[in-house]
Amino acid sequence: MGTTQQGGSQHGIARTSRARTEDEKLQELAKIEKYRQLEDQVRFHAAQNNYTPEVFQLTSKLLRLNPEYYTIWNVRRRLLISGLLSKPSAGSSPSTASFSTSPTATTTTSSDASSSSLSTATPPAPASPTAGRSGTTADEDGSQGQNKDFDILKSELGFTIPLLLESPKCYWIWSYRLWILRQAIQRLQTSVARRIWEEELGLASKMLTKDKRNFHAWGYRRHVVQQLESPELGGTSMAEPEFEYTTKMINADLSNFSAWHSRSKLIPRLLDERKADDEARKAFLDKELGLIRDALNVGPEDQSLWYYHHFLMLNLVSFVGHPTITPAFTQEDRVTYVLREIEGVKELLEDYDDKLIYEALLDYTLYLCQLEERQPEAGERADLVVWLRKLMVIDPMRSGRWTDMEKNYGLMERRLSMGDETVALVH
Amino acid sequence: MAGEDGFKKLPSELQLQLATTAHVKYIQSLDARKDDYDYWLTEHLRLNGLYWGLTSLHLLGHPQALPRAETIDFVLSCQHDSGGFGAAPGHDAHMLSTVSAVQILALVDAFDELETRGKKGGKAQVGKYIAALQNRQTGTFAGDEWGEEDTRFLYGAFNALSLLGLLDLVDVDKAVDHVVACANFDGGYGVSPGAESHAGQIMTCVATLAIAGRKDLIDADRLGRWLSERQIAGGGLNGRPEKREDVCYSWWVLSSLAMVGKTHWIDKDQLAGFILSCQDPEKGGISDRPGDMVDVWHTVFGLAGLSLLEFPGLQPVDEVYCLPKSTIERVLGK
Repeated sequence: MGTTQQGGSQHGIARTSRARTEDEKLQELAKIEKYRQLEDQVRFHAAQNNYTPEVFQLTSKLLRLNPEYYTIWNVRRRLLISGLLSKPSAGSSPSTASFSTSPTATTTTSSDASSSSLSTATPPAPASPTAGRSGTTADEDGSQGQNKDFDILKSELGFTIPLLLESPKCYWIWSYRLWILRQAIQRLQTSVARRIWEEELGLASKMLTKDKRNFHAWGYRRHVVQQLESPELGGTSMAEPEFEYTTKMINADLSNFSAWHSRSKLIPRLLDERKADDEARKAFLDKELGLIRDALNVGPEDQSLWYYHHFLMLNLVSFVGHPTITPAFTQEDRVTYVLREIEGVKELLEDYDDKLIYEALLDYTLYLCQLEERQPEAGERADLVVWLRKLMVIDPMRSGRWTDMEKNYGLMERRLSMGDETVALVH
Repeated sequence: MAGEDGFKKLPSELQLQLATTAHVKYIQSLDARKDDYDYWLTEHLRLNGLYWGLTSLHLLGHPQALPRAETIDFVLSCQHDSGGFGAAPGHDAHMLSTVSAVQILALVDAFDELETRGKKGGKAQVGKYIAALQNRQTGTFAGDEWGEEDTRFLYGAFNALSLLGLLDLVDVDKAVDHVVACANFDGGYGVSPGAESHAGQIMTCVATLAIAGRKDLIDADRLGRWLSERQIAGGGLNGRPEKREDVCYSWWVLSSLAMVGKTHWIDKDQLAGFILSCQDPEKGGISDRPGDMVDVWHTVFGLAGLSLLEFPGLQPVDEVYCLPKSTIERVLGK
């Protein structure tokens, strides 16, 4: 089907014309034989509902050979909930109310499954979320089951780590790991479950150190943070530490669009939670603009940086109907800021001749006109034509876009006056 | 521009031919590689692979190159009582393989066989399976009973349900709201609300809005710009800023550009040249980048990309469904 499922496809492996030797062929056949035997064994036991530790070990073996085998992850889930994990007993489970929805019913729909882990409408009983249940002692009803579950769930988390390190883009491993973590919420004391979830931040960071743009790991991090913030885990906002994390990632490498993106998403919440007044908001914007301008001064060819600069500019010019950094800015403030940024971008031209600079100049000049609800003035018009002409020369790949822009903003009439050279560039 | 002067502008070293015969042979050989360890390791993609291979053959103008009766038999052998399809017999039902099953049956015009020979309930049962995976609170979809949610599954559901004529089984407005919540300031869409724009997820979101008849919700200009910046030196497309090019984005990016009417915002000739240079001209198939191992996934998305570019020798592809236009016309009466 038409989706971004990449499992099983060959990414970045060099083509080879070398034929396999007879010996290699035999080895391959033996490998296949072994794999298929293991597969048959697991399937046989799964079909018989043999929920034993031995079958569980077989799934470990098979998944190590093939972590993309989603059906085997499902067999493993069924083994856990149908035999290995303790049976839920009323009163002992920290979140009995949501517990009943998924663990044993394999026909559970997604809405059930997700509401059981994400719904904030189901307060964990009996203690209040903030008080936690860390005071619960081992002799309380059901705690032995919880200890066993704790060990099993921890062991499952350990099992997936080497697989994730080897296949960091395998959807099935990430999704299994999250399922295990949801089991922790449903089966363990809140304080215990919370500690387990907190450790996941470490994993997300580790994966992002290995590949700073892995969108699975960024998504995982976002999910873990959301969960840690939820009342279900007695959490509070983590916007501040997460914002700091993006700063750290950006300082380590400016060209990390994933980190800039994450930053853009955190800002509205961050400012709300800081209860930032108009002055603080202005100071915040100044600091962000300073940060990105410094970055652009050394890397004006980097799209990541320009996207973030655009994000800040949109905060100034497109401020109706959604949260912005400086909602109290007057029209005059906005115009002043946009003009100042345009001047800053123009200064880049003294050292660089990158197409992204011209694009920004075009955009921001048009933003300014939009802000002042007017058409470009003669001087601006002349600039726009020059920049567009420049883009047509240095970025012919996107000539269709430049031509559309020329038409849409009525920048054609000047073209003739600039001689044949320009006309020839526009086909 | 492509289509106007028939790719005459390609530099001479890129005056590459489409290796039609080799590609057909390559796809026909895929199910005969049982002495390859990888054949067994990729069984969880078998039904998807059949869709990728069969669509490739249809686009290449060789729809008969795989036997129709066996194709239908295999698809039906993957169905569960729930209505959903697994990747192969013995594999659990999942949205991804279910959508592939529906697409294959649409390709070979066999919905009637699903009705008569499929599990009890026929088409309606398949629709029921898919519809039950919608999260009625948020509008998005899970891949299966275990709850992983992703805009890929949302698009898959809309794709299959609309082909079956059963879109009314789900809450379309809620799903549309969810897609809108996945939009970012750069005009793109992510895997879930808050996630970074990614060309693959953009395609799924834009195509969902297209199927729902809500393309008006797309910021076509901003999105078109982001998408056009995906083309990098060498002509290939990447999936996110500052990443390497890959043939599969010839589909995700280009089809999205097509849906917002902006394919002319990239250099079509250079893209065609890049895709052609990723072919294995002798053994057939297309790889992610020149000189790498080919696979059927990159083959179909390379061919579908070339088809959208109106490259000679390929049947026209539908940019929303990634099926031949003729199939969509037959099924949807468009």
